[in-house]
Amino acid sequence: MQKVLSNKLAVFVFVFPGVLLFVLTFLAPIVLSAFYSLTDTLGPGTPIRMVGLQNFKELLFHDARFWKSLLNAVLLGIGYVVLQHPVCILFAVLLDRLGGKAEKFFRTVFFVPCVISVVVISKMWLTILDPSFGILNKLLDMAGLGAWKHAWLGDTSTALVSLLFILIWSGFGWGLLFYYAGIKGIPDDLYEAAQLDGASGLKMHLRITVPLLSPVIAVQVTLAMITALKQMETVFLTTNGGPGDATQFLAVYLYNKAFSASEYGYANAISILFIAVCLLATYLSNRLIRSDAAEY
Amino acid sequence: MKKRQKTITWIVFLIVAFGQLFPLIWLIDFSFVNSNDFFSSGILKWPDAPEWRNYVNAWVDGKFPKYLFNSVLVSAVTIALTVFFSLSLGYAFTRMQWRLRGFFFAVILLGIMIPIHATLLPNFAIFKTIRLTDSYLGLILPYTAVSVPLGTFILSGFLRSIPKEVEESAVIDGCSIYRIVFQIIMPLTAPALVTIAVTTFLNCWNEFIMASTFLTKDSLKTLPFSVMNFVGQYSSDYGSQFAVMVLTSVPAIVIYALFNEQITKGVTAGAVKG
Repeated sequence: MQKVLSNKLAVFVFVFPGVLLFVLTFLAPIVLSAFYSLTDTLGPGTPIRMVGLQNFKELLFHDARFWKSLLNAVLLGIGYVVLQHPVCILFAVLLDRLGGKAEKFFRTVFFVPCVISVVVISKMWLTILDPSFGILNKLLDMAGLGAWKHAWLGDTSTALVSLLFILIWSGFGWGLLFYYAGIKGIPDDLYEAAQLDGASGLKMHLRITVPLLSPVIAVQVTLAMITALKQMETVFLTTNGGPGDATQFLAVYLYNKAFSASEYGYANAISILFIAVCLLATYLSNRLIRSDAAEY
Repeated sequence: MKKRQKTITWIVFLIVAFGQLFPLIWLIDFSFVNSNDFFSSGILKWPDAPEWRNYVNAWVDGKFPKYLFNSVLVSAVTIALTVFFSLSLGYAFTRMQWRLRGFFFAVILLGIMIPIHATLLPNFAIFKTIRLTDSYLGLILPYTAVSVPLGTFILSGFLRSIPKEVEESAVIDGCSIYRIVFQIIMPLTAPALVTIAVTTFLNCWNEFIMASTFLTKDSLKTLPFSVMNFVGQYSSDYGSQFAVMVLTSVPAIVIYALFNEQITKGVTAGAVKG
């Protein structure tokens, strides 16, 4: 057994191709990106001039858009955690207790928006929120709230909130599924024991489900923050960061800097900081998780 | 659950389900009506006669068959590669004994944390230099590289729950390591592999930003572009726009309906324990 499992040739055959692909199309590019971030090149194939850390200095100390992007990501992350996750947990508990065919049915339905292409989701919501014929404004008209009508995604005061709503709506199924899976992992006998002790309903869930779910919650909060940081496609396809920088996110910003503004070197500097922020967020939340992980 | 509680749960769930599905119902509804009806005051509209023309336009002007073919090809190859790499890497990381396995496992897992958008710019430069832009490989390679980390992670978790006895007896029978992995472990890990395949499918089927960066040739474009085709030039033809969105969504919904158990199981196996 030992001999077979430490077969060096087999290890090489299993590991080398996968690692090679990953390094060549994932890690090596990032090294190249780090190099470009030190230049002021306009795009691939144009002359390269080294400028040292100037891009990073500019980004960190003079670029309000960079900080605005980070702030928006934090707001989106908070939106996930405060608005989306409590509902997801509540629904996961209820779903688990519903049982039978209904449980499966609702679980399937709630997840449907998650399998729809981001292009479709974006174009669909652009139409729903359209100021002239969108159904949201039509609904408000019908409800006699015509005064509330808005160019939802086009107005600085409502653009970010509207976008957060779209993202929370479309990500709801994933959040629900994660918590649902976590609840399924809690042994039933714990609930039975609690019921024998006279606990029931909400109290039982506050005492058992929430504490036992805390590792899942911790992982989900981390994931929410990282998902928020990584947000790109929906923004890119709906508001493209605007109006102004109201819905600016890092990935959108770096994309537009590289391909619309032709500031390729600068865009790569954003890219490198982007990675740093994501790794930092993962590291910080991992430490938080380890300090209060519960065992059962 | 008490009867009254159950009723309330049903009502709340139905309302939210309606909220989740309504935009899609609306999409389907308006894919059957005349574009002029779009500006009428109703929320939903019963079509006087279904506008099949919208679907014809979607099929033809959305270049649906061609893009569908490209999506199927790119997804199929990506899924095959991802499953193969996840299986071989997962096995080597959890079962085999070698010195640098901790290090390489950590390297692969970096792929879960680092945003793919950070690889967009440099990959564009590299692919342009080695002429991988405007080729199927230019999508398949990054899609696979992005999918392998999570796949490996899910499979490693799954492998740890499988007892080692089966492999031990296979070794005693003189089975080679390759036969063990591909004839014994592969069927045993089939549920995890299906999960990996389905999530990989959804990811590359719906992926847009890499495709739009790496592809300029129309003949190679994938399904999301059929929607984009209607945005500029046909922007007032909402009926056809909606029809193309419905057509694009159908395959993903069908695959999801077939495999939704596996997605749930995969989440249980992988992400929760992570």
